[in-house]
Amino acid sequence: MDNITAEHVRLTIDGISISVPKGTLVIEAARRVGVMIPHFCYHPKLKPDANCRMCLVEVERMPKLQTSCSTVATEGMTVRTATTVVHNAHKSVLEFILANHPLDCPVCDQGGKCDLQDFSHQYTATSRFAETKRIFQKEYFSPLIETQMNRCVQCLRCVRYCDEVMDVKALAPIGRGTMTEIKSFGAHPLDCEFCGGCVQICPVGAITSRLSMYEYRPWMLKRADTVCMFCGDGCQITVQTKDQELIEVNSAQGAGRNSGDLCARGFFGFRAASHPDRLTHPLIRRNGALVEATWEEALEFVAEHTKRLKLSHGPQAFGGLISGRCTNEELYLFQKFMRLTIGTNNLDSSARYGHINGVQAMRSVQGTHRWTVTFEDIVQADVLLLIGTNITEANPITGLKVKEAVKKHEATLLTIEAIQPAIGTISNISNLSKQHVCVAPSQFGAAVLGLLKAVVEGNHIDSTLRQQAPDYVSAVSQAIQQLDWEDLAVSTGVSSESFVQMAASLAGGRRVVALAGQTLLRSQGAYGVCLNLLDLLLLTGKLTAQGCGFAPLAEENNDQGAVEMGAVSALLPGVLDLTDRDARDQITRAWKEDLPVATGATLIEMIGLAQTGIIKGLFIVGENPVGSLPPQTGVKEALSKLDLLVCQELFLTETAALAHVVLPAASAMEKAGTFTNTEGHVQAVRPAIDPVGDSRPDWEILSAFSVFLGAPLEYGDAKEILKEIRAVIPGYGSLGPSPIPPAVDPAAVDRYMNEGYRRDLATRYTLPARDVRQDGTVQLGLTQSLFHSGKLSTYSTGLLQIEPSGLLQMNPVDAARLGLDAGDRVRLSNGQGKFTTTVKVLDRVPEGLAWLPDHFAQDALRLFDCVVDPDTKVPSYRTASVSVVKTA
Amino acid sequence: MESLEGKRGLPRIKPPFPATHGLYNKPTVVNNIETLANLPYIVGRGPEWFASIGSPPKSTGTRVFCVSGHVKQPGNYEVPMGVTFRELIYEHAGGMRSDKPLKAFIPGGASAPFLTPSHLDVKLDFESVAAAGSMLGSGGVTVMEEGTDMVWAALRLMEFFYHESCGKCSPCREGSSWLVQTMRRIVAKRGQMQDLETLVDLCKNIEGRTVCAFGDASVAPIMSTLKHWRPEYVTLIQEAESANLIKLEPAGVRH
Amino acid sequence: MLKEKHATEIEEIISRYPVRRSALIPLLYLAQREEGFVSEAAMKEIAGLLRLTPPQVYETATFYTMLNLKPVGKFHLQVCKSLMCGLAGSDTVIGWVKTKLGIGPGEMTTDKLFSLSAVECLAACGTAPMMQVNEDYYERLTEETFDRILADLKKDGTCSLKTGPFMWPEPANAVKGET
Ligand code: SF4
Ligand code: SF4
Ligand code: SF4
Ligand code: SF4
Ligand code: FES
Ligand code: FES
Repeated sequence: MDNITAEHVRLTIDGISISVPKGTLVIEAARRVGVMIPHFCYHPKLKPDANCRMCLVEVERMPKLQTSCSTVATEGMTVRTATTVVHNAHKSVLEFILANHPLDCPVCDQGGKCDLQDFSHQYTATSRFAETKRIFQKEYFSPLIETQMNRCVQCLRCVRYCDEVMDVKALAPIGRGTMTEIKSFGAHPLDCEFCGGCVQICPVGAITSRLSMYEYRPWMLKRADTVCMFCGDGCQITVQTKDQELIEVNSAQGAGRNSGDLCARGFFGFRAASHPDRLTHPLIRRNGALVEATWEEALEFVAEHTKRLKLSHGPQAFGGLISGRCTNEELYLFQKFMRLTIGTNNLDSSARYGHINGVQAMRSVQGTHRWTVTFEDIVQADVLLLIGTNITEANPITGLKVKEAVKKHEATLLTIEAIQPAIGTISNISNLSKQHVCVAPSQFGAAVLGLLKAVVEGNHIDSTLRQQAPDYVSAVSQAIQQLDWEDLAVSTGVSSESFVQMAASLAGGRRVVALAGQTLLRSQGAYGVCLNLLDLLLLTGKLTAQGCGFAPLAEENNDQGAVEMGAVSALLPGVLDLTDRDARDQITRAWKEDLPVATGATLIEMIGLAQTGIIKGLFIVGENPVGSLPPQTGVKEALSKLDLLVCQELFLTETAALAHVVLPAASAMEKAGTFTNTEGHVQAVRPAIDPVGDSRPDWEILSAFSVFLGAPLEYGDAKEILKEIRAVIPGYGSLGPSPIPPAVDPAAVDRYMNEGYRRDLATRYTLPARDVRQDGTVQLGLTQSLFHSGKLSTYSTGLLQIEPSGLLQMNPVDAARLGLDAGDRVRLSNGQGKFTTTVKVLDRVPEGLAWLPDHFAQDALRLFDCVVDPDTKVPSYRTASVSVVKTA
Repeated sequence: MESLEGKRGLPRIKPPFPATHGLYNKPTVVNNIETLANLPYIVGRGPEWFASIGSPPKSTGTRVFCVSGHVKQPGNYEVPMGVTFRELIYEHAGGMRSDKPLKAFIPGGASAPFLTPSHLDVKLDFESVAAAGSMLGSGGVTVMEEGTDMVWAALRLMEFFYHESCGKCSPCREGSSWLVQTMRRIVAKRGQMQDLETLVDLCKNIEGRTVCAFGDASVAPIMSTLKHWRPEYVTLIQEAESANLIKLEPAGVRH
Repeated sequence: MLKEKHATEIEEIISRYPVRRSALIPLLYLAQREEGFVSEAAMKEIAGLLRLTPPQVYETATFYTMLNLKPVGKFHLQVCKSLMCGLAGSDTVIGWVKTKLGIGPGEMTTDKLFSLSAVECLAACGTAPMMQVNEDYYERLTEETFDRILADLKKDGTCSLKTGPFMWPEPANAVKGET
């Protein structure tokens, strides 16, 4: 429908002639000429159902009135929406709808934003209905979503949304006729993805959010359009507030990259920002304890100790770590502060946990640090390959794009995921796959090699590429021939035929997008796997073709921004190599100051340097390495040895608890700036409330440090920083409605095919080590949960109501094998430690694996080894072999 | 079709029509059993043979009529199209049960408007019945003798429609429940004069505005009984008014 | 569990259709045959078999009035109350049930043997009044036949008066049920 080349038809609506793409519905065509046809059941996201009959119009040469929401515009059609006949029809349908409606607007949370209320006013409609209205018993529906079925107009938008868009299918019309009500299953409370979509799409007040129940009227609220802080998808949200209180979050239909859809974190997680545990005052360690202090005192303290340490040990005695939750402005200022004010390249960000693997692979092969595709390309793709994305949980809105491609546009979905197809309370992307390969995260690499082998052997190599880069093609072919199908089958548990079929689908696609997600990007050897994936696209001719590309998914909301702002040790703003002379010159010119020469240490390296006493001072902004890294890394001891640990934080985390100074930071709800989402789209962040307590935006704190240190980096507001960013990275963040993706750089591809690949081809084209599986053990994996994101969301009361604790999720077969039932307490142990938790049995967990949501897994981290990637320095600690024993 | 796919039995919006996107989105032909039962004969003996029976040009062949109600021998009768109702009722079905005069009959199932004794000589073919203001529909002929309460009869049918309404579209869903409640009130002698006007209005507002033909069908009994036997409604209401019984139904309806 | 008891029948039902969901209604019937009604456990199990979510099964199960979602008596009397049967005296039949068994529509006898529903047209209008007991039709009811049906059901669990399609002229013995 959106095809640029689509044919058009011309029709007349109320005397206005308009040309619309073929297939456009009359109701949409009318909207374009400014005619709003009243409707309830129609929604642009859903297939027409034409059940409410509200949108009737006259169509010339049709005997009966037609529903404009299901009538497709045709050439020469004449539509009338303003005749008496039509008006009377609307009025009468409204009368029917109002017949059983309570019209309790004064106590209805929809009041003021209700379609029914609006139309009733418009038609001054009342109902002559004098009989008894139907009454549904009020039933408890869920912790977060409330239903009031007496108000339901049975348009089924909620049910259709939950099925067509979400693929969750948690809602159903129950019963028949006027007594139809929307329920989930019997008297059981709703258990679903809690995306809030049904709340948003209900045209009346029949499904509402319990978080904002009976609190307000829409006109009392202030709104701020901003960006969700929970994941890399970067959804546009509208935060509604009353004074300093966060009341509700929603997203207007069509708004942002999410086009109005949200996930549970975005819709219900907003109260994390107003949690009572928020830090409101600076804290200074005195006599071993953190005590409240003024900003003045705290800044003074930091300055004094920094100066002292710098004087005696030099700038390399410092390091810095920042979270990818910060704004671009803060990330930029942070690295500038570390590089100029302190004078070191020892700095890193949360992008190091995995996102950098994808970025570096793209840089090596295609010469970009961003996707060459957009969400629109995912929706329009005819073949999608997902590898280790855990997309529903990790990047839910990118997941919706994939669902839309498959469900609406019939794209072929190929998945290599550590998940089993199964119906559950939340959707499961592999249920939509044409071909699905279920492998353990440690074997994603093996599966990609299987695909490569099938591509090479199946002769799917692009013929121009063969001519253009014969050496590269034959090197890859040779390397892959060394692998044996049998070994591959043992590693992956998948036969060669599956790979052969997948390779054929992939090669046959016209618009192919390969998405790699967190499960892959955080696993051991992920950088190599990403390179191999790019080889796969390159060989099949899908790297440079229109609508094709590689899309690694960012975990934190601004991991992509962290890399682009140069908040990683080896990269300067604009993703320029620190070692590149021209790049250094360029930045030096902009900053009018020399950059530190010594190469910088990355996250794990800095911890090592702190351990050995070389790093003595550490600035941490919003990161919690003590809570995130396994104890084997020695992170806690290392940080305890520091002479100066400064933390800017929302909460007193495990890391902040070790600090000498803790500064209360403002959350994303309280500051302005920009975030760059996983596609590389830069979007504006706007404050919805004032900073909580005495907290300040991180950039202000960094700026204050620099002033106290006598080398001021001063800015009036975040916009001024953005202006500087734009001077350093020309054109950064045009803030348009959609990103303009970079194209693959042909020179870079040439470099890669001539030279680049040689460096590590042999290592990349070997099978990863297999997990050893012994009786009584499972392979434990840390996974992202849909209901949490990092540790921040564990402060959200809303999300905690859905998922209050981390349960060990395992397959029924394994549970039976180990003699376990849901709810049993179990002890997980291996050579490194033990951890006690509770079992949850879940069909989607593959046999032999067990999942632990990483937001609650703190105490389990000691079970994991940490392996650092030699190239990208990414620490990987996602899987561990553990034995599981039931405890009393 | 929805039922066959294991879903709720709701109508689909057309287009697309089943012939192109039917069962499982594949082209589908939907026929009732009667059509299929006729096929072997038409194929075997040729269409001319079939066409020669009954009342050409359109209503050809035989049809099975299910005669029910106040007749001596209710049941299914296969007769050529074009015999009259008088023949069907008095000859085939054995005449009136208690030999009382006939008061009303429905010529073609619950959705066909009621006809009166003056229509007894109408032929059973599509055109003639249509001319008389009704339709042959499903072929269910229901006969009512003198003394039958027509408002009650219409209510019974309305209750049937209310129950069978799938609930998909608002006019039919809400309309049928409304009509039933109003009719119940009238039958219970708690009606008011303006109810009659509301009934007619509601019927008109349902007609032609629903997803499927069910909506149109469901208003037939009320419309036709109001047309032929309006005085019966009026009497009930007048009785109500004189007894000063007008009050609203206290409790909800749930079946 | 249905699966254990009826594995082959379930297989056969599912194999009839190109799309699994089509087997839903037949499987719901199977569940009803088994327990007299469709229980939540059965709906969940069927959802699993057909790869549907429980709400998807629930919505279909609640749409069709032939499916009981609550326990019913061993014999579920479903008396047609539509116009054609009404003309032939279905209200009287409901009255008989009330006086003879003491239950009204929607109720069940205390011994859980009988329950009554007043239902809409079951397409046997030509042989009104009629009722359906579990899956069998009993047509052209008279007080005498009705009594016999109840007695037989109580005694033998079945009754020979169940009927098939009627034809005039009547087979001489049809009404008595010796067909
Ligand atoms: S749903 Fe709309 S019309 Fe109904 S009570 Fe609420 S605000 Fe009023
Ligand atoms: S909140 Fe739950 S029920 Fe509502 S649309 Fe989302 S997944 Fe479906
Ligand atoms: S709950 Fe809302 S969206 Fe769902 S059917 Fe009712 S009115 Fe429509
Ligand atoms: S967590 Fe991600 S997907 Fe969910 S609303 Fe926020 S940005 Fe969107
Ligand atoms: S909007 Fe067209 S029928 Fe509901
Ligand atoms: S009216 Fe009773 S079976 Fe049709």
